[in-house]
This record gives sequence, structure tokens and C-alpha cells, in this order.
Amino acid sequence: MTAVALSDPVVGELRRILGEPYVLTGKADRLNRARVPAPFPVHRWAERMPDVVVMPASTEEVAEVVALANRLRIPVVPRDGGTGLTDGAVPLRGGILLDVKRINQIKEIDLVNRTCTVGTGINALKLNEVLAAHDLFYPDDPASYPCSLVGGRIGTSGWSLIGSRYGHTRDLVLSFDHVLPTGKVIHVGDGIGGKITKSSSGYQLKHLFMGHQGTLGVATEATLKLFPKPEAEFSPFWAFEDYDSAYRAVGALARAGVATFAAAVLFDEWKVDYLRRDDEAYIPQPSSVKALVCAALYGYDDEVRAGGRRLMRIARDLGARYLGDEISQGDWAARHDRYATPLHGRTRAGQVVPMSWHCEDASITYANLPAVRLAWHEIAAELRRTSDVFDDWGMFAYTNGSTGADYLTEIDIGIWERRLDDASWAAWVKAKRDLAAVALRHGGSISACHGSCREGEVDLVPEELGGGYDIMLAVKRELDPNNIMNPGKYLLDRAYS
Amino acid sequence: MFLEEWRDAAYNCFSSGHKFCREVCPVMQVTRNESWSPTAFHANVVAMEKGELEVSDVAADYVNCTGCGACELRCPNSLFTGDFYRFRTRTVDLVKAMRGLAVSEGVHQPGWQRWNRLTDQNSHEPVLDGVSQERVRDWADGLDLPVGGETILFVDCEAAFHRTSLPRAVARMLNLAGYTFGLMNEQWCCGGPAAEMGYGEQAQRFARHNLDDWRAHGVRRVLVLDPHDYITFTEDYPRYFGEEFDIEVVLVIELLASMVREGVLTPHVPVERSVTYHDPCRLNKRKGIWQEPRELLRSIPGLDFRDVDRVTQWSSCSGAGGGLAIEKPELTAKISAARVDKALELGVDTLVTACPWAERPLSEVGTIGVVDLHELLAESLGVGEP
Amino acid sequence: MSYRYDREMTPPPAERASPVAITRFAHVFEVDPALMTEHVLQQVFPNWDTLRLVRSRADHLAWMHRHFAHTVISGEELLDDLD
Repeated sequence: MTAVALSDPVVGELRRILGEPYVLTGKADRLNRARVPAPFPVHRWAERMPDVVVMPASTEEVAEVVALANRLRIPVVPRDGGTGLTDGAVPLRGGILLDVKRINQIKEIDLVNRTCTVGTGINALKLNEVLAAHDLFYPDDPASYPCSLVGGRIGTSGWSLIGSRYGHTRDLVLSFDHVLPTGKVIHVGDGIGGKITKSSSGYQLKHLFMGHQGTLGVATEATLKLFPKPEAEFSPFWAFEDYDSAYRAVGALARAGVATFAAAVLFDEWKVDYLRRDDEAYIPQPSSVKALVCAALYGYDDEVRAGGRRLMRIARDLGARYLGDEISQGDWAARHDRYATPLHGRTRAGQVVPMSWHCEDASITYANLPAVRLAWHEIAAELRRTSDVFDDWGMFAYTNGSTGADYLTEIDIGIWERRLDDASWAAWVKAKRDLAAVALRHGGSISACHGSCREGEVDLVPEELGGGYDIMLAVKRELDPNNIMNPGKYLLDRAYS
Repeated sequence: MFLEEWRDAAYNCFSSGHKFCREVCPVMQVTRNESWSPTAFHANVVAMEKGELEVSDVAADYVNCTGCGACELRCPNSLFTGDFYRFRTRTVDLVKAMRGLAVSEGVHQPGWQRWNRLTDQNSHEPVLDGVSQERVRDWADGLDLPVGGETILFVDCEAAFHRTSLPRAVARMLNLAGYTFGLMNEQWCCGGPAAEMGYGEQAQRFARHNLDDWRAHGVRRVLVLDPHDYITFTEDYPRYFGEEFDIEVVLVIELLASMVREGVLTPHVPVERSVTYHDPCRLNKRKGIWQEPRELLRSIPGLDFRDVDRVTQWSSCSGAGGGLAIEKPELTAKISAARVDKALELGVDTLVTACPWAERPLSEVGTIGVVDLHELLAESLGVGEP
Repeated sequence: MSYRYDREMTPPPAERASPVAITRFAHVFEVDPALMTEHVLQQVFPNWDTLRLVRSRADHLAWMHRHFAHTVISGEELLDDLD
């Protein structure tokens, strides 16, 4: 686990490949690429530092850097936005941190086939500002929408808030150029890739090269599927007097089969309590409000109105109180980027403390949402019982798809990171493992959107994948014979023992 | 002292680490270098507290900020919860404080050191050769403006010495409206730029001089045409002087907008140009002033005004602020070029702005006409530069 | 419209809005200041800054709607249609 100390000749070679300004060796340069928003044991910051940072500008430069690293057996950690929540972009063994943010050009907007091709360092909000001129839209919409980058979305196989209408990253990215751990460049997609959205030719490799958290290489240029920018949006929020009614309503809304349906979200009692602390929409709500549901629809005005009326009727019949246009519209607009609101924490005595927001997620079937919710809150309560370092901020359940089968289920836990020490870190890692175990016990998956390679949760991945995990090891060994690509993640060292 | 003041706030940013600031930061947009992101500026403070970094390790990184304020406004800690907790992200202040710490420990940036030495010598910024105290009112030659009075017009260094047509336009419009004002008795640089570059003692000395001069001569109201001065007088001076700072500060743009609204001034000379407006960062992002400039543009007959909304423009900047243009002019040029490219996409021939400091780098891009809003309005009021 | 120190530094009087929140400006909530006395202290917050953030938030949210779709449909209107 010791960091590889990079010798001057390696740095010199990197500078030859990339040019002087794009090879950074300063301590601040390295410190600032050591973490992502996932809980971070700051007292162990130094263990997560890369030895050198490189900022390539092209697929060719990435390939040269990776080939060099493979030849010299130096770890390479790909990093794009660094907004992921499972430590994919965190170096565990030093080495070269490969930062692809400079590869952010729009190479082509194809109006005929409705695709665009971009460098993976680009952000979707910025891309959509350009696409809007063509009345087009790339609907990959994580809670980090204003800051996450396309390469990270591929590397984590991201989840989109409006994925029930448009699909998630795996559906929206058609193909990409990918640098393998040996430095060889391949093009990955369905069949020949490019702009093909469906092929039955050969193995379906696209999924393999998405969501690997940088352990199988680096995507550098991607072709994306585009949609017409929606004419209309409808985002009703409803209040309920108990969780069970809200739960019944969210299920009915998701199962209604409305074509413009893009999302439904269930807020549980803990979440409502949390929002009453400091959210302008919920502070004035009467105490009878115990749970919330919202939905979102996108499409042409006439179809959204028709679908919207249907959902309004379903909700009303199930005891919902519509919260009004102001809250509905304001709160929905904030969902695209309400991903980080520090300071929200409270000590058990009620004092405000600086906490960071941590979302722990799983994919859970609709039937199991109530049970998982109770088990998860019990884990959070156990953390809270022992320490002011942790705070339970409640749960959301978001539809994964248009039929309402399963939900991205998240519990938000505030962490007073500055007070983390070895003991509280260990308690956190245990909680993380327990949360994952609950998900598996209920037939769920450890993660719907973040990935599952952090301490704690990762221990259960072999159990989750079963025989599939052996295939993961075989693939890793075959594609990365020297274990240079993001080593230490997903317990993949086992591939080499 | 520095760490004590900043570590908690820095920790909030570091531990959330979500970086909503990144894609709106003008420096990040053109460099893509995360070492120069607002997040890094906070994280470094945490690293300093942990003994991992010294100010000398990072002083040069902190050059890479224009002080535009996009990061701190876009931070959820400000935009969503800042007013609720009365606690918001203050990256601009942090950058200034880190620069000040560097200077206090003898770590200077050569361009800034020279700039502030010359400013100290001449009591004005060296915006061009020959800047001196004797010439600070030369811009007003022939306008017959009095010195002193209850209301004075404060003209920043760039406008007083380099962009002289701008204060002349302002003076003519105020005269046309019958508004009584004078020039300052002994105007020195506001001190804001020195504060931004880390030369805090000098900044406060200049501020003290100006406030004493105002008080000694019965000034009650200061009119400001430069957004940078407006920040200095409404944020720095109150911090320096507390309640003693009992001077009313009026932004000329707001004054003119109220005059047009009330019919005191009526633009009537058609201006046949197609324009878009560049929101000065210090007005739009840092003060929330964006409506009045648009009101003025819409009042000018003949003008084809193609607006880009204020929120989109949180991502825009000329690159001129915060001393960046002095220490890294090549970076300012890149940021300006990106701004001008966006304007050109609209098919306009003119980029209008309202900040004298933005006008030089935006003009130097060379691909679009750059005009100051005050001068455009003066033209439509029939009191433009002959 | 103009800046004056005394005017900016004097916030409107507080009214209680909930057990943990107060209100000073119309429709703007603030944390009960008593909850920010130990671990996080409130900053000097001139009135202009509070209003700047409130208005910017509204502008930002409206921008997000426009960014995702051309128009926003009113639920109140659809609810009326049901009857």
C-alpha cells in the first residue's frame, strides 16, 4: 500500500508527452485531487495523494500516458469532475492522477441523426446551453448536474433524476473512445458503435466499460443521444398525513403508465422533519404533513397536460394535498442541484454544526421500500446515539424507471467531518456495510447510482454479484495485466493473487 | 489568526466538496485546472491547518481569481442557505485574505508588487504612463464642474486617466438632468485594488485619506460609476470604519435609471446598433444589480438589444478583475476572448458593458465593438462626446 | 437604491416562524440565532446581501425551469380541470 515515489525521469517523460504546464507536481496540486464528496477521513488525507497530476488534452495523450504507466507499473487514477460518491476518483496507491477536464470540446452536433460528440471533460449543463440554440437537450440529470462531467458519468454509470422518461447515462451515451489499461484505444458501443443505438452484433460491451470506476480505463470522447428540448414541464408536489399514504400514492403514480412521466420521488417522515429545519418551502407547513411525493413530466404541452391531469386525479383520490404551484415549481427546480447544503447539521442539543451531506444509496424494489426505510433509519439512529458527528437527514425514494419496479433509495446522513477520528470512522464504515447488507437482504442492489467500491460496502460486492464477481476478476486480469488502473478498488487485487 | 478566521468556513467547503462553483468560474472555464478552483482555495486552508501546506506553496495559485463572485453566489451554501443561516461562502474574501497573508509573510507576486508600489507613489494606479495626482481631474477639462459640495462624483483610476470619455459622459448627463454634484477635493485611488492584491495596509491608508477628505469638505454622498469602486465603498470601507462610515454611496447607473423612469431624462436620439450587454460581475453577481442597465438599454430608441439573462451571465467575466490582468494578462485575454465569442454568437456588432476595467481587455480581443453603457445613453440623450 | 451603513446594518425586527426559525423580511426565513452560538457563528450580514441571495435564488430557480423546458404547467390549473 505504499505510494510509488515517482522518479524525475518519469516526470520528464510525462512532460515530453504533455508539455510542461500540464504535468503538476506541487503539493497543493496533488492534495486538491485526493478526495471526492464521499465521506473522507481527513486525518488520513496524506494516504490518498497522487504522486503527480497530468492534464492531457486528447485521446492520444491519454493513451501515451497510460502506456507509459503500464510499462513502468505505475498506478493511474482517472479523474473527471470528482463529484462521485464512491471514491472512484480517489487515489489509494499514489501514482499518476489523470485529470481529463481539458478534454471538453464539442466535436460535432449532428442535427440529422440527433447526436453530439464531445470530449468527456464537458459538463451537461454547459453542453445543454449550447444545444438549446438548436432546441435540443441532453437529459442526463444527476443531482450534481451543474458540476459533474460526462466522463465521470460514464465511469460510474450514472443515474438521472429524469431517467424514467429519458433513460440513464447507459442509455444516453451511445458510444465512446476508451483507453484500455495497456494504452490501447478502442471504440465501445453497440456493435460498431458510433451513432448506432441498437445492435445485436457481438458481445454487448458498452455496459462493461461503464460503471467500472476507472478500473478498466478511461473514456475520452463520447457520442450522446439528443432529444428535443421539452416544450413543457409539470412538477407537482403533494403532502400526506402519513408515510403509508404517500407510499401508496408514489406507487400508483409510477405504475400509471403516463408516457411523459419522468420521475416520482417519495420523501419520508425523517426527510420532512429535516426540511422543516431550514427549507423555506416546508418551515410553514402544518405539523400534520408527514410525508411528501412529487412527480415530474416532460414533453409537449398537450401531452403533459393530459398526463398531468391523470396524475393529479390519482394523487387526489389517494388523499394527497397539492402543495401549490410556488412550492412545486421552486422545489423541483432545486432538485437538479440540491446536492450539497452544508451547515444543515444539528447537535443532539439542537445547535447548528458544520456538517457535510452524505447520501447512501441502493436500488430497492417498490415492495421492499417500507422495510428498508425502517432498517436504515435504525442504523442511522445507532450512529446518532453515540455521537454528534452524525445526523439523520431522512430518506428519498426515486423511481428508477417508468414502470415503478424499483427505486433509487437514499438515506442522507450529515457528517461532522472535522470531528472524524479513527473510532467514528470505523463506526461509519460499519454503518456503510450494514446499510448495504440491508439492501441485499431485501433483494436490492447496493447502489443505484454511486457505485459500491468504498470501504464497508465493497466487502459485500462479491456476495451481491455471486458468480459474476469471478467474471469481474477475470476481466480485470485480462484487460489490466499489471493492475495499474485505479488499483485497490472493488477488491480487484484478488484478481492477481 | 488567518487560520482561526478561515478554517471553519474552509472546512464547510472542503467537506462538502461538490464544486458547483467550478463551471461558473471564469478561470476554471479556460484553464480546467482544479488547483485554481474555488474549492481548492478553501481546501488549501484545511491543508494549512493540518500542516500539509505553507502559504508560500500556494500564494501563486491564488493569483488565479478575478474576484467575480460567481463561485460564492453559486455555492449552495450561499444561494440556497446563506440568507437562512446568515452564513455564506466568502471565497472572494478568502482569496483576498490569503493574498494578504502572503504579502505579510514577504511572498510577493512581482507584477502586483510593482503595481502597488507605483500606486503608493502616485496615489493612483499606474493604468498608463504619466498618472499623477495633478492630473486626476484632467478628464473634466472644459466641463466646468465645481470642486466639493455635498455630492461628489468619484472616478476610478482607469476611467480618470484612460477611459476619460466615460466620466465625461456621466457628467454631461447629470448636468442635463440638473443634478448638482462636484468633484472630490483630493481624490486618491479608492484602495480596493490594493486590498484585492493583498496590500491591506496600503488599502486602508488610502481609504482613510478619502474618508477624511470627504468629511473635511462636507461630503455626504458619493456617486460611483465604477462597479469596483462600488464594492470598495459598500464592503471594504464599512469593514474598515464601521459606523463612522456615514457617507451615502450611489451607483450612477441606478441614479440614471431612476431619472429615465421618472422622465427627468428621455433618450431620444436613435442609436442604430445591435448590441448585447455584458453584466459587470461586481454588479450582477456581487450586488444583484442587473435590472437597471437593461432598463436603460431598453429606453434607447433604435437599439437592437439582444439580451442574455443575468443567471447565464454568472458564468461570464471579462477577466479583468482581482488583479489578474496585471499578473497574468494572458489569462485575462483568454477569458475576454471567450466572453466576446459568446457575444458574437448572437450576431450583434456591439458589446455594451458598464465597467471601465472590463472595456480594455474586451476591446483588445479585437473582434467586436465595445461601448460603455453610460456613453451609449449619453449619445441617445444628445450629450455624447462631440 | 443607495447604500447607507446604518440602514444596511439594521435588520427588520424578528418574528418567530417555527420552533427553530424566525422571519425578518417578508417570506424569508432565518434560523433562530440562538442555535448558532456554539459551533458556527453568524456572519455580519447587511440587508442588501440577504435580499441579493433571496432574489438570486428565485432567478436561479426560474432559470433552471427555462433550461429544462420552455414552459411550466400549473398544477392549480389542472386541479381545476378535474372538477
